[in-house]
Amino acid sequence: MNCRSEVLEVTVEARQVEEAMLALLHTILLHRSTGKFHYKKEGTYSIGTVGTQDIDCDFIDFTFVRVSSEELDRVIRKAVSEFKDALSSDGMGQISLEFYQKKKSRWPFSDECIPWEVWSIKVNMVNLANEQERQICREKVGEKLGDKVINVVEVINRHEYLPKMPTQSEVDNVFDTSLKDVQPYLYKITYQITDSLGTSVSTTMRRLIKDTLAL
Amino acid sequence: MAHFETEYQRLEASYSDSPPGEENLLMHVPEGSKSQWHHIENLDLFFQRVYNLHQKNGFTCMLLGEIFELVQLLFVVGFTVFLANCVDYDVLFANKFVNHTDSSKVTLPDAILPMDVCSAHIRDNTFVIFLLIISGVFWLHRLVKFLYNVCCYWEIRSFYINALKMTMSELPYVTWQEVQARIIEIQKEHQICIHKKELTELDIYHRILRFKNYMVAMVNKSLLPVRFRLPALGDSVFYTRGLKYNFELIFFWGPGSLFENEWSLKPEYKRGGNRLELADRLASRILWIGVANLLLCPVILVWQILYAFFSYTEVIKREPGSLGARCWSLYGRCYLRHFNELDHELMSRLSKGYKAASKYMNCFLSPLLTVVAKNVAFFAGSLLAVLIALTIYDEDVLAVEHVLSSITLLGVCITVCRSFIPDKHMVFCPEQLLRVILAHIHYMPDHWQGNAHRYETRDQFSQLFQYKAVFILEELLSPVVTPIILIFCLRRKSLEIIDFFRNFTVEVVGVGDTCSFAQMDVRQHGHPAWMSEGKTEASIYQQAEDGKTELSLMHFAITNPHWQPPRETTHFISQLKERVHREAAGASSDTHPLSLSESEPRSLVANILAGPSTLASVHFACDSSLTNSGVPEMPGGAAALRSLSPISGSLHLRGSLSAAHRASGFTGRTMTGSGTDARTVSSGSSAWEGQLTSLVLSEYASTEMSIHALYMHELHKQQSRGDLSRHTWHRQESDESSDSIPDEVRSEPNARSRHVPRSHTFPTTLTSPGAGSASAASGTAAGRDGAGPQSSSQRRHSGPAADPFGAGAAKVVRTPLVPMGGWAEDGKASSRHQEPLQEETSEDELPPHIQKVT
Repeated sequence: MNCRSEVLEVTVEARQVEEAMLALLHTILLHRSTGKFHYKKEGTYSIGTVGTQDIDCDFIDFTFVRVSSEELDRVIRKAVSEFKDALSSDGMGQISLEFYQKKKSRWPFSDECIPWEVWSIKVNMVNLANEQERQICREKVGEKLGDKVINVVEVINRHEYLPKMPTQSEVDNVFDTSLKDVQPYLYKITYQITDSLGTSVSTTMRRLIKDTLAL
Repeated sequence: MAHFETEYQRLEASYSDSPPGEENLLMHVPEGSKSQWHHIENLDLFFQRVYNLHQKNGFTCMLLGEIFELVQLLFVVGFTVFLANCVDYDVLFANKFVNHTDSSKVTLPDAILPMDVCSAHIRDNTFVIFLLIISGVFWLHRLVKFLYNVCCYWEIRSFYINALKMTMSELPYVTWQEVQARIIEIQKEHQICIHKKELTELDIYHRILRFKNYMVAMVNKSLLPVRFRLPALGDSVFYTRGLKYNFELIFFWGPGSLFENEWSLKPEYKRGGNRLELADRLASRILWIGVANLLLCPVILVWQILYAFFSYTEVIKREPGSLGARCWSLYGRCYLRHFNELDHELMSRLSKGYKAASKYMNCFLSPLLTVVAKNVAFFAGSLLAVLIALTIYDEDVLAVEHVLSSITLLGVCITVCRSFIPDKHMVFCPEQLLRVILAHIHYMPDHWQGNAHRYETRDQFSQLFQYKAVFILEELLSPVVTPIILIFCLRRKSLEIIDFFRNFTVEVVGVGDTCSFAQMDVRQHGHPAWMSEGKTEASIYQQAEDGKTELSLMHFAITNPHWQPPRETTHFISQLKERVHREAAGASSDTHPLSLSESEPRSLVANILAGPSTLASVHFACDSSLTNSGVPEMPGGAAALRSLSPISGSLHLRGSLSAAHRASGFTGRTMTGSGTDARTVSSGSSAWEGQLTSLVLSEYASTEMSIHALYMHELHKQQSRGDLSRHTWHRQESDESSDSIPDEVRSEPNARSRHVPRSHTFPTTLTSPGAGSASAASGTAAGRDGAGPQSSSQRRHSGPAADPFGAGAAKVVRTPLVPMGGWAEDGKASSRHQEPLQEETSEDELPPHIQKVT
């Protein structure tokens, strides 16, 4: 567990899930991306530029900044919409954004991916009865997200471990170089869904049997 | 408008859009990752491997060792099968004659069956095939593991060479402390651990010993079912490698264990909410594992027997006495281990105590057995003598049937008998021996002191220090007994186990989930009877027994002088050190030991050091020449040692010990220097290290620890005299042995007990925890304590912030300041915990006595 982990928790309505997730993930990625590296032959490099872009949310009173890279946005959107689909109407879920580093190893083993920072966003879904509540929720979630963003920035501002800037040959071990306009640290988005009931009797039994048979 | 002069010029545009004007661009130089050692994923495993490689003396030794082990395995199986199936025993025993044309001699190859007969034999025997398959699978598993290990340790090897800058050839001669210091050094450069800028010694220890600390804590809190009351054998301990393996499987790494991975407990076990459900789950897992053990029992049993046969028969034949020799039992190792003590530290400590311990156990040879043994040895000896004499006269005697075997058997018989006959010129002093043992093993239940000559004490000590034969026997029985213990004993404890892991797991940044006892925080887990009174806020449930927290803390601080503990802990350590050193100084100024009558109050250390003999004068005299000097006096200490040894005679063990104490005493003094802060101590000792190798330092550290351990025990004894002591040894039942001794000590029929010098400096030999003489003893104790350093009693009254050390000794009756936090905050309403809970709360006004942990 040689990695930092940060947990963010949000409570949103079903239709806000996508935007809230995008807001948080993009905020984190904004700070964890650089411009493309252009290596020179003497072992130096220059960094390309990164544009930013304000995005207004439809269902939340909130505007966030993201890297203006359509490609990155597409990737994130895809992950988030998968997560949203998997999330049932009032369930809990967790989406995590993991930054990792690759370590080349010798032949019989595949490359190791060693995470150095994990952001877990826990989502609590609520159902709202009427329009008035929705209106209140819209504002409240906006405020909450604002807090979270400040939170994220605070964490990122701390002087903590970051992978060292790689040489040209190693750039793939640290940065995701597949995008053509921006270069974030290598990341992985995973999610898991938990029932709001958590461990009901039947699941416990099932798990118990599975556990015990897994000898 | 021919020529319009202007400042403005057309820009010499270079329309290459990206990047414009390369020369003006900000250029960066990549640092690259020069080493591959930054940010290691599984630091637990990494540090463990680093430690293992160090302990195994480098890569080559380890590789060879493992290869031989694999070969040995093949050999054991192959040879057994061969012996069972391919040997014609009739030929060997000459029941069947072999027709030889050329000579009449029977050769070994004659007895071996030809290949085809042999393989037919094997094919017919399903049991052998079954055995072969099992061992084949096992061997393959080992092989895969071996190959994997080779790859992993190759990496560690390059870590040693490239990062730590140590070659494999010098590794056996480098101490672990040095390796550790290097690791801490390179953390600054490579950031192995990303959470912190700097690693501490404690972090490394925590990671290497994470699970061992849990086991030590569980044994300390009597959570594991390893003690049993058997109808015939009385109290006994059963803890074998197989059982230990199963415990670890269940708790730490088996499928569905409490731990998610090496470093974190599963989150559901950290919450108290559904503890009952979790306990049920754990219970059913234990049941399954128990059943699996039962099913595999024949396989394991056969394996154990084979293994024992091949590894021990040769030893027994060579020196039959070795079965009578003793070893520290597995339980003993767990009981005696400090928190955060690495294997090699424990082993060296126990090995130092080995001689004294076996001497102590030999005090208790049964006189009846001695008489019998003497006579058996006499008869066997005479027979043997005749046979040998005959053989010398004419060696044809050897050819007579069974002569050779009877010579061998008689020899074995005599050796066994001799081990029951005590040495005539040996004088035994169990009380002193036990003290010497204590100096090394550091832990001992309270009621042993003063009862060293009792058979009960011996029996209990033998649980820690058992016969090797018993050890082997237990290992052989283990496959049968283990499932029974798992199914019937451990399963009942599942709720307590769940509670234990929840209550005593803390998450430390950069380390993960560790056992909170291993933090060695006196405030959280200190025991008021062990010098942490007033500092500890622990409830009885949270206190570590036997002063484990305090002793572990001292041990760790002494073995790792560079470690900077948290502030309160620093305070505790420095206070204790200062006290010990001051008293040591006080003791040394006491030049004429003969003037020390019982009425004269004396300091504790003098008490410990002086002993009953006049030896004291010798080493105090030596000491006075040593006191004001620094490191160059090292040979002086050695001289003291030498000067002691010829005089001491039968007491030389003790003498050398106290000489060692002197040495450690002045070690300490040079270390403390002027300041009392532990920081100055550590800086002082680092100056020290410059002159001496760290090996020497660690040697002195162990003697320093010995003196601290003795001191703490002494203080504890005085402190708890007024109270009913709280036994951890047999918490299930009250200890009858210690109550009934007071005065029949003198009238004891055992002749040897008269040899015990009952010095006045050891009040314990005269008194006992029993009520009768307690008040007088504590009176003298109080006097003694008060006169030592300008002492505690006044300061105690002055306020709670004052020095709490040994303060209790000044009062005969005291009410302990034990915060009764109950067992845990949440959900303790379960029926299983009802009993202890009530007991705890009812103890509010009383001094803590025998704690019941059902």
